[in-house]
Amino acid sequence: MSKRGFYSRPLSRLSTSRRRFLQLSSAAMTGAVLTNCARNIGGSTSTDGTPAASGSGDNTLHIYSWSVYVDDEMLADFEEKTGIQVIADIYDSNETMLAKLQAGGGGQYGVIYPSDYMLEQMIEMEMLLAIDKEQVPDLADLLPQWQSPPYDPGNEYSIPYTWGTTGLVYNAAELGEELTDWDYLWDNRQELSRKMTLLNDVREVMGFTLKMLGFSNSTENPQEIEAAFEMLKELKPSLSAFTTDGWRDRIIPGDILIAHAYSVDALDVIAENSDLDYIVPASGATVWTDGIAIPKTAPNVEAAYAWMNYVLDPESASAVVSRLRLATPNEKTFDMLPSELKEDKRLFPTDAVLAKCEALANVGDSIDLYDRLWTQLTSA
Amino acid sequence: MLDALKYRLGKLVEPLVLLLPAGVWLLLLLVVPTLMILELSLLPDFRLGQAPPDYGLGNYLKIFEPIYLLVIFRSVFFAVICTLLCLLLGFPVAYWIALMAPDRWRNLLLLGFVLPLWTSSLLRSYAWITILRPTGVLNSTLGAIGLPPIEILNTQVSVVLGLAYNFLPYMVLILYASLEKLDRRLLEAAADLGAPPPQVFMKVTVPQSLPGIAAGSLLVFITSLGDFVVPELLGGASSMTMARLIYNQFLGASRNWGFGSGLSMLLILAVSAAIALLLKYGDRKAETF
Repeated sequence: MSKRGFYSRPLSRLSTSRRRFLQLSSAAMTGAVLTNCARNIGGSTSTDGTPAASGSGDNTLHIYSWSVYVDDEMLADFEEKTGIQVIADIYDSNETMLAKLQAGGGGQYGVIYPSDYMLEQMIEMEMLLAIDKEQVPDLADLLPQWQSPPYDPGNEYSIPYTWGTTGLVYNAAELGEELTDWDYLWDNRQELSRKMTLLNDVREVMGFTLKMLGFSNSTENPQEIEAAFEMLKELKPSLSAFTTDGWRDRIIPGDILIAHAYSVDALDVIAENSDLDYIVPASGATVWTDGIAIPKTAPNVEAAYAWMNYVLDPESASAVVSRLRLATPNEKTFDMLPSELKEDKRLFPTDAVLAKCEALANVGDSIDLYDRLWTQLTSA
Repeated sequence: MLDALKYRLGKLVEPLVLLLPAGVWLLLLLVVPTLMILELSLLPDFRLGQAPPDYGLGNYLKIFEPIYLLVIFRSVFFAVICTLLCLLLGFPVAYWIALMAPDRWRNLLLLGFVLPLWTSSLLRSYAWITILRPTGVLNSTLGAIGLPPIEILNTQVSVVLGLAYNFLPYMVLILYASLEKLDRRLLEAAADLGAPPPQVFMKVTVPQSLPGIAAGSLLVFITSLGDFVVPELLGGASSMTMARLIYNQFLGASRNWGFGSGLSMLLILAVSAAIALLLKYGDRKAETF
């Protein structure tokens, strides 16, 4: 296990199943009703809506991305500027992307957008091309914390693109007080019974409980992991569900009052309902990063660099992150944001809060223990 | 002589030509993938990107640990309850459409039952969320007539409801097909011989439609056993089913493809066994008439 010393102040992210709605929709809408699992898993390694055309001539670039990071306007603008035609495929979870690349079905892709923990795994498995820093001028503009992120020291294989946190979104009007820390869930679990949801993600849920107990969210110490599990067992009867997206429709009408959520989703929902608020709890939370990387198998590296330069350009990047309410690791991009975003502590927490936050790092074989306890928690 | 040979050859080639496309299809898209899953399932705790371990039965032995047995038990429980509910709700409807509804309405009624299947099961599950959620359609209706609200979203009840709703049309269709062929002369004969209606139903109608009941129940059981969408959307904090467990092994944090394949094989075996039973006993029941 490659634990690195400087993990003490990390900044990154995990989301095995953020954007689950998209995933469910794409699978079910295309008629692939998920009845037979074995068959479904085989098929869902490519839930992308638009299968890439096979032609990968010199002037074509295939990118494999989260749905939010590409839109038709960008593609048209890029083609106009560079003459390179881009074909974008969409994935809905890091694991889906990894599975497709590992199964050899991703040979055409020149650019991918893995999250931090996935970058760490892919670097370990030697799946990524080392970045030629001559070709990407923007690295010096990265904020100090992202100059050498723990998942990819020195940004050798990836360039940080966006980041955010995993905290609590809550109905401030209904609760009548400001949340400060995770233990609020436990202290008020009687009154909040069936009015809370947590993410359907073992690492995020175990991770915040570990932080609350004062441990690392990526601990490999079985006693600490068990302790977090015991805490969650107490909380579980009061939970409505473990859901990554389902909370959105329910927190707006007030069916639930608190949801464990990614900042990007939380801020999106808050824009629809001003009763809601979002906090990064005081004991610390997950900080996650989405990076941009080039797979080793990329057929058209030149075009991949052209795309990287295009999307990392402060003007284009600031448009994307302000539209999506994501945080940017790039100083120039940050400077171009409207001041209400720059000053929004929910989007850019203070340094003091960030210092308590931690990326989810790989936990090696301990993942078996996490997964077993998670199964126990969600089935018992 | 030559003609006879040609005829014989034709006899031989004909079925081959007819079966070849479907055969190749099944071989490539069903048999080969299943064999691949079988191989993965024999690699204990195999993760993609790691060196494959030695072959062994570790994945299958792991299934017998209590926490996983509990998940399997829950899936079977959901499937059994869903099947019974579909049978209870579906039989009267199919009976009415097949035997009592006016002829000209029959197709329209059946169409009405099949219509929901034209939308995705995901949408239908979302509709149930809208109905069942604490401030949803059900509770505002209850509130309007002065009854206390009930909270069933994200419980086992909502999962069973959603499953039964999703699979009821299949049950009705199959039962209808079976009841339609019911020999009405036997019903009349029984009535003539003095059997009261309940007795006619239990001793004549039900035995005649047993193959349909078996086929419908099995189809509903199999599909609900492996369903992913409904427990995922309507289930609560303790609704882990086999589908989700398998999903977690492949696309969750643990990425344990070996164990995931072992669980998948178990599901495939259960389904195969159910179908084998149907082929064996479903027919024999039919022959007794």
